[in-house]
Amino acid sequence: MREALKEILEVIRYRELLRNLVIRDIKVRYKRSVLGFAWVMLNPLFMMLILSLVFSTLFKVTVANYTAYVLSGIIFWNFFSQGTSVALLGFTGNSSLLKKVYIPKTVFPLSIIISALINWILSLIPLFVILLITGTRISYHIVFLPAGIIVLFLFSFGVSLILSTITVFFKDMIYIYGVLLMAWMYLTPVFYPPSIVPERYRLFLSLNPLYHFIELFRGCLYTDSPLIYEHFIYGMAFSALALLAGWAFYHRYKDRIVYYL
Amino acid sequence: MKESSIKLTNVSVHYRIAREKRRTVQEFMIHLAKGKKIEYQDFLAMKEITLEVPAGETLGIIGHNGAGKSTLLKVIARVITPGEGEVSVKGTIAPLIELAAGFDPELTGKENIYLNASILGFSRREIDRRFDKIVAFSELAEFIHSPLKNYSSGMVSRLGFSIATEVTTDILIIDEILAVGDEHFRKKGDERILSFKTRGTTMLLVSHDMNEIKRLCDRVLWLDHGTSRMCGDPFTVTDEYLKVQ
Repeated sequence: MREALKEILEVIRYRELLRNLVIRDIKVRYKRSVLGFAWVMLNPLFMMLILSLVFSTLFKVTVANYTAYVLSGIIFWNFFSQGTSVALLGFTGNSSLLKKVYIPKTVFPLSIIISALINWILSLIPLFVILLITGTRISYHIVFLPAGIIVLFLFSFGVSLILSTITVFFKDMIYIYGVLLMAWMYLTPVFYPPSIVPERYRLFLSLNPLYHFIELFRGCLYTDSPLIYEHFIYGMAFSALALLAGWAFYHRYKDRIVYYL
Repeated sequence: MKESSIKLTNVSVHYRIAREKRRTVQEFMIHLAKGKKIEYQDFLAMKEITLEVPAGETLGIIGHNGAGKSTLLKVIARVITPGEGEVSVKGTIAPLIELAAGFDPELTGKENIYLNASILGFSRREIDRRFDKIVAFSELAEFIHSPLKNYSSGMVSRLGFSIATEVTTDILIIDEILAVGDEHFRKKGDERILSFKTRGTTMLLVSHDMNEIKRLCDRVLWLDHGTSRMCGDPFTVTDEYLKVQ
């Protein structure tokens, strides 16, 4: 516990580095493509268009406002999948620095998750536009959205600590995680409603942290689900668990990381 | 007796080299299924080094390639945690090792100054305060808003040198980077290193240039296969070292 506090103080001392890394991520991302900023907005919209066309006839009866449902799902999923799969390279991608200068290592996965979060918040703009166009009433639960974002952020950071540490020792983790992510996406109600999951598998669904986060996100936006508080409590429990596990894992192997980079 | 700023007691560093490389989950699983044990070969990069550097001293470190010079610097800079022994370092450290590591070619000179200085742990205010001096010393004012990928390699190392030596730290680590830029800049860099000596900065200097060692250092440590072979007066140690070569 004392070690964790020490690391937090070190990260605060290196906050200027954290800031610079986040700014660099965002600058480089938008500089690289011609469409840049617009692409972040357009990408989920195109995905939504395709999925709406494909699935709307399938789920029309069970999901009200499928457009909003699928777009909020995709935007949520993009944050988690892109954030964690980039954060997986948090240590190995900065090996030339970590081998030469002392830096509190957690700064790297942390900066990647923060940049992903900023991109996500930007992609909320097209989401709100679609909600307006489709005439969706925004829920008053929207006031919980910032709290929900913080809880999801902590969860993703905990997961990233584990992923970035494993990747130092096992170089093929990036491919394995790609496959795992795909499976995880199909097990999470991103573009199907949770109600189609058979009763006997519901328990597994409630053990999937991302199920609670995605439903919490939709609940804050427009679904007005009465289960929102339940999802929020589950979400907090899962982020606490992820943070603890992530820290314990990182702390156990942190002194060996530089030797394997 | 001056307070020592660096103190190492019986420090050893092992690099564990797996006899069979097992760097992927796939290989790991295959070997696990076969029930083989992982065999490791221990490579001792540093053997029981005990060293004390008083505040304000310039210590030269010499030795052949692979003698453990860089490993020693990394231990002192807290980059690697040694397997055995105790390390105590008092004060802030700036490493001047292969400066390009902290630069991003897509960013401008100015942005890179902020990035690089923050890698050394400096706050925005501290960098703001020193920014003009860094630019002036590097003599790169007219290029400071161009991306670094348009710089020549000499310009990049000039910028790196200016950042690392403008930020004032208690301990400065120099790993063979005195050969920076052209003759004119080299002279300036030399003067700056000498000014650190008068300011009372503790310095660790790794170099293969024995004249430089004799000129700058108060004491010299000769490393040989990870052990301390000799430590003392620069002239005596470098003479003995050159005899063996």
